Amino acid sequence: MKIVVSFKVVPDDQDIQVSGDRSLDYSKAKPIVSTYDLNAMEAAAQLAAANEGSSVVGVTVGGSKIDDSKMKKNVLARGVDELYMTADDSCDGLDAHATAEALAELIAKVGEYDLILCGDGSADNYAQQVDVQLAAKLGLPVVNGATKIEAGDGFVTVERTLEDVIETVEVPLPAVVSVTPDIALPRIPGMKDILAAGKKPMNVAGAEGSYANAIEVVDCKAPEQADRKLEIMDAADDGAIEKFAAAIKAAL
Amino acid sequence: MKAFVLAERSDAARELCAGARTVADEVVLVAVGDMEVPAAVADKVLHVALPEGAVFDDAADTVIAAFDAEQPGAVFAEPTKHVKVVAGKLAAHAGASVITDVIAFEGDVATNMFFGGVGQKQQKAAGSVAFYTVGAGVFAEAQASGTNAVEELAWVAPAKAVKLVASKPIEKSGVDLFKADVVVAAGRGFAEKDELKLADDLCEKLGAGLGCSRPLTEGVDWLPTEVYIGVSGLMLSPKVYVACGISGQMQHMVGCNRAGALFAINKDKNAPIFKQCDYGLVGDIKTVLPALTAAL
Repeated sequence: MKIVVSFKVVPDDQDIQVSGDRSLDYSKAKPIVSTYDLNAMEAAAQLAAANEGSSVVGVTVGGSKIDDSKMKKNVLARGVDELYMTADDSCDGLDAHATAEALAELIAKVGEYDLILCGDGSADNYAQQVDVQLAAKLGLPVVNGATKIEAGDGFVTVERTLEDVIETVEVPLPAVVSVTPDIALPRIPGMKDILAAGKKPMNVAGAEGSYANAIEVVDCKAPEQADRKLEIMDAADDGAIEKFAAAIKAAL
Repeated sequence: MKAFVLAERSDAARELCAGARTVADEVVLVAVGDMEVPAAVADKVLHVALPEGAVFDDAADTVIAAFDAEQPGAVFAEPTKHVKVVAGKLAAHAGASVITDVIAFEGDVATNMFFGGVGQKQQKAAGSVAFYTVGAGVFAEAQASGTNAVEELAWVAPAKAVKLVASKPIEKSGVDLFKADVVVAAGRGFAEKDELKLADDLCEKLGAGLGCSRPLTEGVDWLPTEVYIGVSGLMLSPKVYVACGISGQMQHMVGCNRAGALFAINKDKNAPIFKQCDYGLVGDIKTVLPALTAAL
């Protein structure tokens, strides 16, 4: 089966700095694959391995910064066979509707496919909406919350772990399935994988269409920190545990 | 203005209807399947009966038909996986995007988390219809009202249906951390599952509920996923929060940083949690927790 795995490239949140006016500074943050999209890639690679003759294509859309050679190799070192990328500043900060439009155009270049996998949610917005919007755009069925996927003849059997129930569903192919982080633990690529990744096909291009957001961002800043007392004690010091216990009791 | 409410659980339906009432003249609750409809919350209740073997999500086409007929100006949806699919399909149909997991409203400007709480985004719908998913508690103060005039919707079958093969309830631990005044959370500092007994003992002493950070539910199943606190898990605001063996990564802190008083125990004195707590205790949970439980 041919599996498309859709992922988002985001600035590494460990290196996002908060400026004095609470605005966010991304200048030191390198582009990385959004954390839970790595689990989707692993799920795609494992599903491909379980079904002989399968291949995995990675697709992503974003600003020109996402065309980063280290990031691309990282993706292709994880069982992804080929990469398609729209890297264009007009695609920076798209909302779910606009992202789905851009992804749909990109996926048209991939050709025929059976399954599109998405991660649980992106590290930045965590909207959990691109899967649904993409499916709507492509006219495909969609399920989310997948913790297990098995390929059948013309369908996949998906176990969905929802808030109160575990559902087992049959989804006719082609389809969009978004997976939870629990579905598969991302591999740690070895040096051999990374070297091989550099030789795999990478199709990078600018945007063909223009995509308009349906959500207007009024402001985006770091939240005001709650004022905490910051009384730190060493448990080995005399009376520290008693003082800590007393503080808990006082707060109850 | 007319507002749609999409929910699959009664508590959420009631709260979202109450919230919708604060901005809309007419509140229409869409009730799918066998959800118990709360009394007197909406002007109209549109009921969608699920055919045998259909998944909740596939009610979307029926809801879209109702949306076109009713033309609401705003849609408030419960942030569950089922409802997120229906809300997303509805938004796609309207050429819009859902503003998700809203934590506060100021008029038509909605605030939600960015990078799990590193930032907060204030957003509004650019088009004529606004779509939101809203978590529990945001509309806790609002009052619902209405006569609940029930209308049955005719099922609109999806072009490519998902077939429901089985649905089995998840065995819950019975702890509802949202209702707990005191929450103890366990993290990576617990090296073995047996050590959770130490946290259990502390919980018993404090009458607290036990939650955890992601490492204890992902990969290992020491604690059920439903008690995971942080990004894409529980967002709590208890009176007292005691983080044990938790380093204080933003992904976790976003789930507890609205707690009344925040206590932290960690053996690493440089752990980021010590910059975000009221009282911190530097020490190994293996020795500190029994001593603390005894001292309480």
